Amino acid sequence: MRGVSVREASVKGASARDVSARGGGRRPRAGGIALNAAAAAVLVVMIFPVYWMFATAFKPTAEIQAETPGLWPAHPTLEHFATAVGADGFWTFWRNSLLVTGAAVLLALVVALLSAFAVARMRWRGRGAFIVMVFAAQMAPWEALLVPMFIIARDTDLLDSLAMLTGVYFMVTLPFTIVTLRGFLAAIPAEVEEAALVDGCTRPAAFRRVVFPLLAPGLMATSLFGFITAWNEFAFVNVLIIKDQDKRTLPVWLSSFRDVFGTDWGATMAAATLFALPVLVLFLFLQRRVGAGMIAGAVKG
Amino acid sequence: MKHRLLAAAAVLALAAGTGACGSDEGSGSAAPASTGPAKLTVWIMDGSVTDELVKQFETDYEAARKGVDLDIQIQAWDGIGERVTAALASTDAPDVIEVGNTQIAQYAASGGVRDLTDKVADLGGTDWIPGLAQPGNIDGRQYGIPWYAANRVVVYNKELFEKAGITAPPTTRDEWLEITAKLDKGGDQGIYLTGQTWYALAGFIWDEGGDFAVKDGEKWKGALDTPQALAGMDFYKRLQALGKGPKDADEANPPQHEVFAQGKVAQMISVPGGAARVLEVEPKMKDKIGFFPIPGKTADKPGAVFTGGSDLIIPEASKNPDAAYEVVKALAGEKFQTDLAKAMNFVPNRTSLAHVLDADEGTAAMAKGASNGRATPNTPNWAAVEATLVIKQYMTAVLTGKDPAAEARKASESITATLNSGS
Amino acid sequence: MSVPAATRAPAPPRRGPGRPVPPDRPRRPRRFWPYLLIAPTVVGGLFLLLYPLFRAATISFQHFRMGELIRGGAEFAGLDNYRELLAGGEFWTVVLRTFVWTGINVVLIMGLSTAVALMLVRLGRRMRLALMSALALAWATPIIAATTIFQWLFQSELGIVNWLLTRLGLESFQGYSWFADGQAMFGVLVVLVVWQSVPFAALTLYAGLTTIPAELYESARIDGGTGRQIFTRVTFPILRPMFALITSLEVIWVFKCFPQIWVLSQGGPDGATTTLPVYAFRIARALHRYDLGSAVAMLTVVVLAVALISNLRRMLRQEGAEP
Repeated sequence: MRGVSVREASVKGASARDVSARGGGRRPRAGGIALNAAAAAVLVVMIFPVYWMFATAFKPTAEIQAETPGLWPAHPTLEHFATAVGADGFWTFWRNSLLVTGAAVLLALVVALLSAFAVARMRWRGRGAFIVMVFAAQMAPWEALLVPMFIIARDTDLLDSLAMLTGVYFMVTLPFTIVTLRGFLAAIPAEVEEAALVDGCTRPAAFRRVVFPLLAPGLMATSLFGFITAWNEFAFVNVLIIKDQDKRTLPVWLSSFRDVFGTDWGATMAAATLFALPVLVLFLFLQRRVGAGMIAGAVKG
Repeated sequence: MKHRLLAAAAVLALAAGTGACGSDEGSGSAAPASTGPAKLTVWIMDGSVTDELVKQFETDYEAARKGVDLDIQIQAWDGIGERVTAALASTDAPDVIEVGNTQIAQYAASGGVRDLTDKVADLGGTDWIPGLAQPGNIDGRQYGIPWYAANRVVVYNKELFEKAGITAPPTTRDEWLEITAKLDKGGDQGIYLTGQTWYALAGFIWDEGGDFAVKDGEKWKGALDTPQALAGMDFYKRLQALGKGPKDADEANPPQHEVFAQGKVAQMISVPGGAARVLEVEPKMKDKIGFFPIPGKTADKPGAVFTGGSDLIIPEASKNPDAAYEVVKALAGEKFQTDLAKAMNFVPNRTSLAHVLDADEGTAAMAKGASNGRATPNTPNWAAVEATLVIKQYMTAVLTGKDPAAEARKASESITATLNSGS
Repeated sequence: MSVPAATRAPAPPRRGPGRPVPPDRPRRPRRFWPYLLIAPTVVGGLFLLLYPLFRAATISFQHFRMGELIRGGAEFAGLDNYRELLAGGEFWTVVLRTFVWTGINVVLIMGLSTAVALMLVRLGRRMRLALMSALALAWATPIIAATTIFQWLFQSELGIVNWLLTRLGLESFQGYSWFADGQAMFGVLVVLVVWQSVPFAALTLYAGLTTIPAELYESARIDGGTGRQIFTRVTFPILRPMFALITSLEVIWVFKCFPQIWVLSQGGPDGATTTLPVYAFRIARALHRYDLGSAVAMLTVVVLAVALISNLRRMLRQEGAEP
């Protein structure tokens, strides 16, 4: 074992990721008709609501409320997108959402990585308890923390502050991030790192040059999850951002197409489509890695 | 710029100390002229005022008063209850907030709203319309300043009425059922009435002499199970059946004006402003829309209607209560009230201005109905009854065939419990 | 790596192959390292989770309503809120309902996800990619948007579900009010939550499935195992830890599921879809009884912790044993 070079070891570690190709090739035949039919059914069920959102966004209002629903827009229009994009503060909300979500996810990744490393690679007193605490932290009743959080923010002059919001989202996503990253880390054989140490790397260097590249897909998969969670959050932004409207985020905008007369479905659907875009783009960008590496480590978990 | 403002606000907040929950802090300190530019934040609900009117008011107001920076923020409806509560509990609240007239009592009772009793005379409060002034008044103190009101009328499709051979709008409930049944033919709906339009139900119950809840000594008691209230619900059910309004939704889901705009609905119950929304969806409806007051039991009196509307409040936590009052005064004053009523088809906040409504067919019908306008039970806990949706769920249950008496008893018990839970 | 061999740190003692080696064992002076590494997590947790939780717990022992929130000066109320809660029968009904809700959803999610994951493994490349993309789309759709869409799909008069069912010959669904009936509403919510949850679980399980060496299947097949036997004897045992993790995560998520229910039904009709988080929120926000709402939330945490206690203990035992 001692003689294993870094390169060799890392190849070994990587093999855990690359098995998706192998797995798929296990039974390379394209499946029976029944199987494909079932898959098609699942596909339709999964995609239909999303398609419906998309199609509705392009339908003129009169068509949306038609008695016989049309499966696609007969007269596609961009008016709802215009309404959605033209809403007050649209671009500011975008910027805020990206800022808050990005910062929260990055912060959670960094902090979680440190903890995950300590848990996956080191042995210390209190480790078991720490893991259980992290797991238990996912049970936190966040809706019930709205009022305490508001009081704390008020008493520390952190109302109307994006930093406070970032802090909350960071904490909401942190436990899951630790659990997942720990799994990814555990899936990378310690030998890989050892070998680097043997080759004379310092510990941080070994981590940076050897472990980190192997971990990258895991980091990305995990960040996607955190991103979705923080991107969607409405309740906290609603009570923590009060007077400074320019600090609000996209979910506020998404729910703003409703007044006393009712919801503007078309605009809401157009907004929802735009709202889902970043997550979709991120997913498509990460898709291969996410697919392959998605909690591969959770097997160890 | 934003950051500097925020920093300044933070410094101010620090200077004011942390005890800003107290009541009198800062009152009288911020006379607009003496302390340089005062930034005033005003919260107005989405759909209350047109964008142009907001802009115009802002410009005029700032021009008339040097050194006032008016920031009018349009508030979305989702989560507004939590947001207003948070604002009242904050140390630096918006200076003026528009609050629905059924919501105001709970905020006033919580102690977060400034008492404006001594300003009533200055605001010309002698002829405020009762549907707005009363909800803003708790235990003899005036917290809410009436802003605007609106009540529901029947908006109808003239073309469909003609097709069915109906020449005059109904004047009694029985007539109303009769002609609606006649209209409910073929692909057309006699009326599009959703199952949870509880404002409409309120009117029917009041007409029968009932109410949602009655005060019995110190205690409130849910009253949906009285014979009068049950009769009101029965009428609602018969009317609702003459169209295809969903039994499990309210008029906002889907927005009824969008359904009406399809041209196959003969009538809907809406504030007159709903007609403008119809035209936004379908401009071709332009000359086809008519209005009449909701018919009463007899022809001599229109049906009772729920007076919906808004009051303006100044939070205790406002940093500029005096400057805020000036804004309230302007918003509740004759000039703006006239503009608002014309632009939005609302009832102005005082009876002496009612004449501005005469010109328009829709608002004229509304004004006729308004003479028999009423409000929901005046207690701080009423907002909680609305929030628990108990009335809406009761309506849906009855409309989908459950036993009215049993459901009414259950709903009444729930209302009783909610209204009597301490604050 | 370019460092000369002479300056290398002492190599860790050799361990049995395959067992993860705790490499810091010999570095005694660095024992504070793990604590330093978890410090940010601990600090964050203290300030942003435990402290607010403590404040929430405090509120549950106070008379704390809208007035106290705005004016301050809440009074200590002892166990009054808990007493009020436990005295009424509603709380236990809600607890029971929450378990039923969680049970139905988690079973459906895990069952369907496993089926979809197994399906993914067997599909041809194109179909697999298409299905995975569909799953990703569903997963990425914002909760608010998805919930709105479902509200609409199931609308009684204009909804496409009723239209479709009527078209298929089920005339009784003409204008059927899904949201009027407790069970129907419950069903719609289950469909929504399952729809939203399957992608994560299915994609994760699929990733897990692909790590199982093909040889294991081959030998099982040579031994004459049926598809079902292969699943119960080969696939499932290997993936058991993963199943356990995903199941417990789904239990937590479904148990705590809130925005979907609140937006669609607000816990109605007639409380038929009021689960614990909805119950807590309704009390706190609609009635402004923040004290009682906090008490519900505290009890929710206790109930959830008790429900998962065996899981947590097992975790503690395992984690104590090996890194």
